[in-house]
Amino acid sequence: KVTDESGAGIPDVTVSVKGTTSKTTTAGDGSFSINATGANVSLVFEHVNFGTKTVAATGNTVTVSLSRAEKQLDEVVVVGYGTQKRGSVTGAVSTLKNENLEERAITRVDQALVGQLAGVTVKQNTGVPGKAFSIQVRGSGSISGGNEPLYVLDGFPLSVNSSNTTNGSFSTGNPLDNINPNDIESIEVLKDAAAAAIYGSRASNGVVLITTKRGKIGKMSLNFNTYAGYNQAAKKLEMMNGDQWIEHATEIINAQYLAKYGSAGATINDNQAQRLARNGGAFDANYILDPRWTMPGHPGLAFIDWQDAIERKGKMQNYEISASGGTDAVRYFVSGNYANQESFVIGVGYKAYSMRANIELNASKRLKFGLNVAPTYSITQDPGIDGKDAIFHQALSLAPVQEDTMGLYPNYGKNGQYVWSSTTNSPLGKLTTNVGTTKRYRTVASLYGELQVVKGLSFRSSVNLDNTDNISNGYTSYLTAGTLAARTFTGANNLLAATSGSYNSYRRQTFVNENTLTYSNTFATDHSLNVLVGYSYNFDRLDRVTMSSNGGFTSAVIQTLNAAAAVTGNTTSSQSVLLSAFSRLQYGFQDKYLLSASIRRDGSSRFGANSQYGVFPSLSAAWVISKEAFMKNARVFSYLKLRASYGVNGNNNLGNDYASISTIGSAGYITGTTPGAVIGQAPNVIANPDLKWEKSKTYDIGLDFGLLNNRITGSIEYYNKLNSDLLLNVPVLAVTGFASSLNNIGSVRNIGQELTLTSKNTTGKFEWSTSVNITHNKNRIVALGPGQTQIIIPNGFTVSDQILKVGEQLNSIYVLKVIGFLSAKDLASGVAKYGSGQAEGDFKFEDYNGDGVITEADKQIVGHPNPDYTYGITNTFRYKGFDLNVLVQGQTGGSIYSQLGRAITRPGQGRSDNHPASFVNRWKSPTDQGEGRFGKAYSTYNSPITAATDWLYSSDYIRVRNITLGYNLKDGLKMRFVQGARLYLTLENFFGHDKYINGLNPEAANTAVSSNSAYPESGDYGGMPLAKSFIIGLNITF
Amino acid sequence: CAKELQQVPLSTATTVTFYQQPSDFIQAINAVYNSLRNYPSRLMFLSEIRSDNIYPTNTVGRDPDPINNFAPGIASNTYVEEAWTADFNGIFKANVVIEQVAKNAAFVGSAALANRLTAEAKFLRAFFYFDLVRYYGKVPVIDHVVSDAEARTIKRGTVAEVYALIIADLQFAVANLPANYSGTFPSYSATDVGRATKYAAEAVLAQVYMARSGPNYGIEGPGLGLNEWNQAATLLTDIIGSGAYTFNPNFANIFSYTNQNPTTNKESVFSIMFLTGLNPVLGTDFPWQLVPNSYFSSLPTGNTPANGALGVPSVSTNLVNAYATNDARKSPTIHTTAFTFTGTTDANPFFRKYLDTTKIPASRFDWGINFIAVRYTDVLLLKAECVLNGAAGNQATDVDAVANQVRSRAGLLPIAGVTKAQLLDERRREFAAEGSRWFDLQRSGNLVTIMNAWIATEDAALKKMNQATANSVIYPVPQSQMDAAPGLYTQNPGYQ
Repeated sequence: KVTDESGAGIPDVTVSVKGTTSKTTTAGDGSFSINATGANVSLVFEHVNFGTKTVAATGNTVTVSLSRAEKQLDEVVVVGYGTQKRGSVTGAVSTLKNENLEERAITRVDQALVGQLAGVTVKQNTGVPGKAFSIQVRGSGSISGGNEPLYVLDGFPLSVNSSNTTNGSFSTGNPLDNINPNDIESIEVLKDAAAAAIYGSRASNGVVLITTKRGKIGKMSLNFNTYAGYNQAAKKLEMMNGDQWIEHATEIINAQYLAKYGSAGATINDNQAQRLARNGGAFDANYILDPRWTMPGHPGLAFIDWQDAIERKGKMQNYEISASGGTDAVRYFVSGNYANQESFVIGVGYKAYSMRANIELNASKRLKFGLNVAPTYSITQDPGIDGKDAIFHQALSLAPVQEDTMGLYPNYGKNGQYVWSSTTNSPLGKLTTNVGTTKRYRTVASLYGELQVVKGLSFRSSVNLDNTDNISNGYTSYLTAGTLAARTFTGANNLLAATSGSYNSYRRQTFVNENTLTYSNTFATDHSLNVLVGYSYNFDRLDRVTMSSNGGFTSAVIQTLNAAAAVTGNTTSSQSVLLSAFSRLQYGFQDKYLLSASIRRDGSSRFGANSQYGVFPSLSAAWVISKEAFMKNARVFSYLKLRASYGVNGNNNLGNDYASISTIGSAGYITGTTPGAVIGQAPNVIANPDLKWEKSKTYDIGLDFGLLNNRITGSIEYYNKLNSDLLLNVPVLAVTGFASSLNNIGSVRNIGQELTLTSKNTTGKFEWSTSVNITHNKNRIVALGPGQTQIIIPNGFTVSDQILKVGEQLNSIYVLKVIGFLSAKDLASGVAKYGSGQAEGDFKFEDYNGDGVITEADKQIVGHPNPDYTYGITNTFRYKGFDLNVLVQGQTGGSIYSQLGRAITRPGQGRSDNHPASFVNRWKSPTDQGEGRFGKAYSTYNSPITAATDWLYSSDYIRVRNITLGYNLKDGLKMRFVQGARLYLTLENFFGHDKYINGLNPEAANTAVSSNSAYPESGDYGGMPLAKSFIIGLNITF
Repeated sequence: CAKELQQVPLSTATTVTFYQQPSDFIQAINAVYNSLRNYPSRLMFLSEIRSDNIYPTNTVGRDPDPINNFAPGIASNTYVEEAWTADFNGIFKANVVIEQVAKNAAFVGSAALANRLTAEAKFLRAFFYFDLVRYYGKVPVIDHVVSDAEARTIKRGTVAEVYALIIADLQFAVANLPANYSGTFPSYSATDVGRATKYAAEAVLAQVYMARSGPNYGIEGPGLGLNEWNQAATLLTDIIGSGAYTFNPNFANIFSYTNQNPTTNKESVFSIMFLTGLNPVLGTDFPWQLVPNSYFSSLPTGNTPANGALGVPSVSTNLVNAYATNDARKSPTIHTTAFTFTGTTDANPFFRKYLDTTKIPASRFDWGINFIAVRYTDVLLLKAECVLNGAAGNQATDVDAVANQVRSRAGLLPIAGVTKAQLLDERRREFAAEGSRWFDLQRSGNLVTIMNAWIATEDAALKKMNQATANSVIYPVPQSQMDAAPGLYTQNPGYQ
């Protein structure tokens, strides 16, 4: 009899006698009978869900217990340049299976990784559908170089993001663009140095191996999957409503009026005529109130909630059809997918068309060919929603009170602005009039052949091409630009001068040829050996074209640049070559003692002439303790494996293909009787022929375990990763002609722990299982340049708010600390102040250096952007035909320094821009200090704007990322040609809580804060919230 | 395959690939002139503000304040940093030209062009070094392109060593630069107006000899106490005798936006050239660096591109009073009438020599006015100074006549028996807002006395100033340089 962990019989298990052809299957209760004679008979049990188990038959009755975990150990795991059984893995590898991916309303593969794997932190920087996420494997170790992992798609290493994500977006593409998540079979993340080291100079940030679906031998299976639903904003930031805004504006205007004319006898009770008279008869919204504010019903004014005005329920739909199957000669998987996501913001959306064919042919017994090809096309509509002064920021900032004759379209077309509001052009007008379209055509194709030279020795060669053509065109109409005066035709002004357009494109190509020789054999039953040697050639090229109007348009109806008054254009190209040789040896003794060693030598054109080649070795070992004789009786541990590894990896993401070379830049001058510009050219980069990869050395110790007959399985992981030779712009002596030089110097250490746990809480009719993953990561800057203890990240807006400091976390938040509000007593006692204009009710800052004044020198570290803990919990329930899957995910310990605060909660902000609704709880008087976050409304000290803790928020959040309820219709349908049918209902990101009280998305990154791309810092300047979606879908297999 | 690792940039030239034909070398020398672009603003901050011409009546904690008030901790001050880095960047670019012309002589086209380019590069290298030696005293002597590693081995040279390079460079420039713009390629033609001429080199070399002749204050500054007035006078006499320049009888016209081209403005011996309206910007910001932002805002047309600076220190009362009421130079040099913006009246005087409010550009960094770095009036007055210090010449024709020519243009009565002190005062009124004052004080030998006497009266009420000492004659080595290679440079005395 064959039973599962709970003792229930398992039907349909194939039972065979080892070494013979006799075979049978178990009955409904798990019982079987088979004929076998002789000594040392072994029975092999096989089941699709329970894997394979071989048991020595003793006597006439054999009772075998199979567990799903057995299958896990037998599972094939994709590792670099090959596969391995899960049980033989010696490095830290996490796997994500496509369990219910196609039932989720997601359009990208990175989205599928959110909350799923320990050590893999996925940040959703934007709510714009189709846009790339940011992924970090085991923290970030690079300051100026890239922190994104290497992606390998079906063995094809894709181009690493070449540019730093200074503003949180990937301007020249992301490796996961356009890849259809529904085609994914599994994703493996190689986290430690040993697992990743086979990818050498690109492996430092981890390696993500993506495997797409392929056909299996058998009848064709045709699958049709569709869903439809809607999405909405997952969060709304309550801003002050019309009445609150009027109250605040009145307070500000009265204060300004008093400040100017108070000494001349003005009082806040002066009426409009008196105020006009004092202002010399000139109308000025700074001193004069709108009389309609105090009239009942505010005649002539419209109260507008701008978030409501630009949002909607966005419709979503997806259709996918796929066919797979195979014979001994051919195996195939083909699919087509159409996804259409309207965003919840009007005018924003994403459409994707994708196709894939994975075909494998057996040309002969020893020769195999395969072709994977995936043409895709996507269209993103985004008229400019995210970032500083972009539409969503403006929708938050714009006054909620407007003239009702203009309604939702203030300062648009023939409408002027409401005098007391700002000059912002209608956000809704921009969304409906302006164009920002990105069309991306990408094809990833691989052709490979595999020859079995002799038994155990095979040669594989592949050629791979990834080609992306990306075209972005933008159009901004004069209707949405400038002031009414500029939009009013007076005979002299050309309205269309304010119209602008752009057309930018890039082509990114990656060509890879890889050749590997693999020898795999088992000697004397106990010794298994796998040896790999390989050579690869990798070519990357990026060609960019930018064109934009320069001087307006000549037509109001034509949006292409042929109607531009003048066009400026530019093309640039860049390419790099990587040549690699690599080898790996894996040895196992009785599947008990496992050893793996690898080495790769990379030569890269990106490195300096003196250091073009790097060698990246690794070593790892594992001991399956549970196979030892002394563990036989340890009932609690059904499986126990200890792993340890060490390896050296590199990061070749220097941000520039030619960073080591002294290039020539422009520096013009004026000469001539008739003066004119003359071209000047001089070296603008100091050459560094020693420039090379960033290096990481990682120790990793892991324990895989199975408890209580594998009812609970999981692993614990510890790692210590030292990134050294960091690319840093080090100050050099000015006598060289330069201020800084890009050098390999400085180091950062990441230390972390990971826990993965899967528990089968109940089995039987009602199945409930829980998977948990928790990651803790902490990084520390160990060293910067010589003698350098800190680098204050230069800020593009006002004053800096982040620092790189030895001993502290990367990009620590470095600002003035608000410790309350200034009281009259403080002022009398001469407490430290910022500048001369601070008054009662303004922030009281901590005088950190105790010098009696508040200056930039009083800044202190108050937090760091990276979370300390990230976690994901998946609960799966099955009962009869129903199944329910719930994924909860979150993070704690990080902070967000909100640049949005500068827009909507800065001290002394003035009357026109709106504040969050919680601003009503500001300091109002010494006895009413509100909630403590905001000082008094009329504040005059703030120039320049301070960077202080009033814009600091915790980035902790918890989200119910996904709830999927499925029902198996098959039993009800009773149609022979239908093999399976499921109806499902999914809530994506529907519930959640975060501590970013005056912002929308604690992971948002949409604005470059740093003014120096060598020290990227991106921030949230009012990015749109994430979407929550509701879909209903149907999945039918024929 | 390994050859493929030798990739070169596809969209930018490199130092290896660029220098291939004559125009490449001309572009390379143009880039050296580009390093002059911040020279006028630097004079405002490091010469005018440092001197008794400017007093911080109403400023609070702005960047120029510590330069103005002789604070000891100015090694990290932006302007102190800027002068060192920008001048050495210019020197680097000049060295690139000199080396590339020598290395790739075959590509330059002609020996004559090679000679001209080398002479231009050497003139500019000397110009930058002269700027450095007057601000910092001892600086590293860099006569070739140095790597990061080599730079870390080069200490500050002595002042004498720095001058040796400057003088050799300028002598080469005098011998090899064209005298005017009326030649044909490879000499200067009409399109080359603005490039350094032989006479520009002579004028700068004369200034060098004069600076060396100034006293040393007991520090390692620009003055060496040498007696080279005669060498200077000879060079200045050559410029005057050439007849290439003329004394403009209308003072205000010298700085007019319509008379700024060196071909029409015969006062210009060497100008830093700017032009508005180009992309990338090739205009300048020096005309408003000492003008309050609110003045522009108060103008009837408003001030869209936010010209002017915040917290501008004002022209000192002492300087305002140094002009006689009828001095025709006062009004074009100093704005003394109060202006009102948003109810606040500002009566502090400010420099407006190069300001024309009808020429406000679209960007505040893009004013289109040339800066006259060497003015013919200066050549005349410098010669007079040499004669007063013992160079060949006589009091009546070479000193009094020149001083009275300048005074007469200003509408003042002539004086006889002009003394060194009177000449220094005349220079102050003539060259105020042109950045000459600090160097004149250095050379006079009375810098410390004059400054402290001025502080005693000007600062009597507000008490914002520290005392000037001999150490104040030069600036500290920028902190960034002290930090970049700890122990390599020693800091100038008197600075932290």
